[in-house]
Amino acid sequence: MRSTLPYDPRSDVFREAGWVGRVGRRAINGLSQTWALWGTLKDAILSDLAPGVAARRLVHSIMLTQVMFTGVQALSLVSVIGLLIGASIIIQTNMMVPADGELIGRVLVAVVLRELAPLITAIVVAGRSGTAIATELGNMKVNAEVLALSSLGVDPLRYVVLPRMVGCVVSVVALMIYFSIVSLSAAFALGVLSSGASLSSFQQGVSGSVMPHDLALFFCKGVGLGTIVGWLSCHFGLEVKSSPTEVPQQASRAVVMSLLGCVVYNTALTAGFYWLVGPPLPAP
Amino acid sequence: MKDGLWLDDASFRYGDLWVLRETELHVPPGRTLIVTGDNGVGKSTLLYVCAGLLPVTAGHVWLDGHLPAAKKPSELMRQGVRRGFLFGQGGLLSNLSALANVTLALRYHADVFGIDDKEVDARAREALAQLRVAQTDFHALPAHLSVGVRKRVALARALALDPNFVFLDDPDAGLDSATRHLVYERLERFRDDSHITVIIATNSRPLIDRLGVHPMELAHGHLLPEDETRRSRRA
Repeated sequence: MRSTLPYDPRSDVFREAGWVGRVGRRAINGLSQTWALWGTLKDAILSDLAPGVAARRLVHSIMLTQVMFTGVQALSLVSVIGLLIGASIIIQTNMMVPADGELIGRVLVAVVLRELAPLITAIVVAGRSGTAIATELGNMKVNAEVLALSSLGVDPLRYVVLPRMVGCVVSVVALMIYFSIVSLSAAFALGVLSSGASLSSFQQGVSGSVMPHDLALFFCKGVGLGTIVGWLSCHFGLEVKSSPTEVPQQASRAVVMSLLGCVVYNTALTAGFYWLVGPPLPAP
Repeated sequence: MKDGLWLDDASFRYGDLWVLRETELHVPPGRTLIVTGDNGVGKSTLLYVCAGLLPVTAGHVWLDGHLPAAKKPSELMRQGVRRGFLFGQGGLLSNLSALANVTLALRYHADVFGIDDKEVDARAREALAQLRVAQTDFHALPAHLSVGVRKRVALARALALDPNFVFLDDPDAGLDSATRHLVYERLERFRDDSHITVIIATNSRPLIDRLGVHPMELAHGHLLPEDETRRSRRA
């Protein structure tokens, strides 16, 4: 079971004994941290299957609130970033292939839909909500709120972690769609105005290069990246033991690890996916 | 069936510091245990261990025949173990109002208690009223409440659950005279209830005298009657 305790005596059963002991202890610590990391994810997901109709209703209402905080309140930030990213891509592509609307459309699909929309959205959510989640959970640990939940018979992973994870997943997927729309619209508008290419050629380029399997990749990325941000933010927040000085340290660790996790996952999924289904762009 | 609280050869340590060593203890329902001890000796930790919030290093803790550390908190509640816990510091959920703090567990376990939203609200308001929390404070966040009101809200939260175990960590610390007497009255009712097992960690002599319970002292990992500890110190 994933520990939500301020101090776990089971972590202190090994005594140091020379360098062999130190190496062994480090290895054991590494394994136990990996195990705890996995435990957070597994136990949070499984907690939704636990009995309790009232608990499920309460947790689902918290999920909605979390989507509001993580997704809806990030719309303005994502709009600005999407707009500027779309504009900067069109400036670059205009310099390489001026007035070729179809090719620019293809580039937009490859760059925005397949790569930037998932990654930038996840980065925004990690930076904006990941820090907030880790800090909130860290403070809850310091103020004995997590222990208080246990004493009240409320499962901390179900009440605290699961809604935040689900909130991150739903928000990342929704914001990715929104980011893509804003970014492509900005690119179309700027492209038509600046290069003189026709709107229909852009549309042709986009619709010609979006494959059905792109949709699967898009949602796999959204769900995976959202899970990584929610999971790691909650995990490192709960890693705070009892001192307030640990809160900013763990919050920073949560964001760094989330960003690293997102980039690794995004790259691995792209590579693996196209290795399986073949090249995405048909020859022009 | 192991009714009440049982410590079965229970030990707990923080690194090299033993809080509890191979302790056998039984506090049946209707009995009150008061634990005294020097600062830093581990009284609060002992409460956490007894409530099953911290797992023992060795041995077992039983609450009404259940091993709390091995179960999810909600499982324990479903099996009839209702724990009211008053923390020495903190413990109230900082993002919930006083009323929401009291209703939280009731809402989470509304199906276990067999009550609807209206009854949850009524029960929480009644518990807060019993502890004389002003209605104007019902919707305030804990950070906006005084220490005394926070303590009363925490006690109301424990009370609303209709607990069969009550764990109190320094229940009268930082309270003014009127609030202290109110808390004492409530604790006397807990003490006199034959269904409740009460464990209190305190060094407050007025509280010990008021409850009229002979305390046990925690020292060097051992829980002994206070007189015995003093005798062994003198020796």
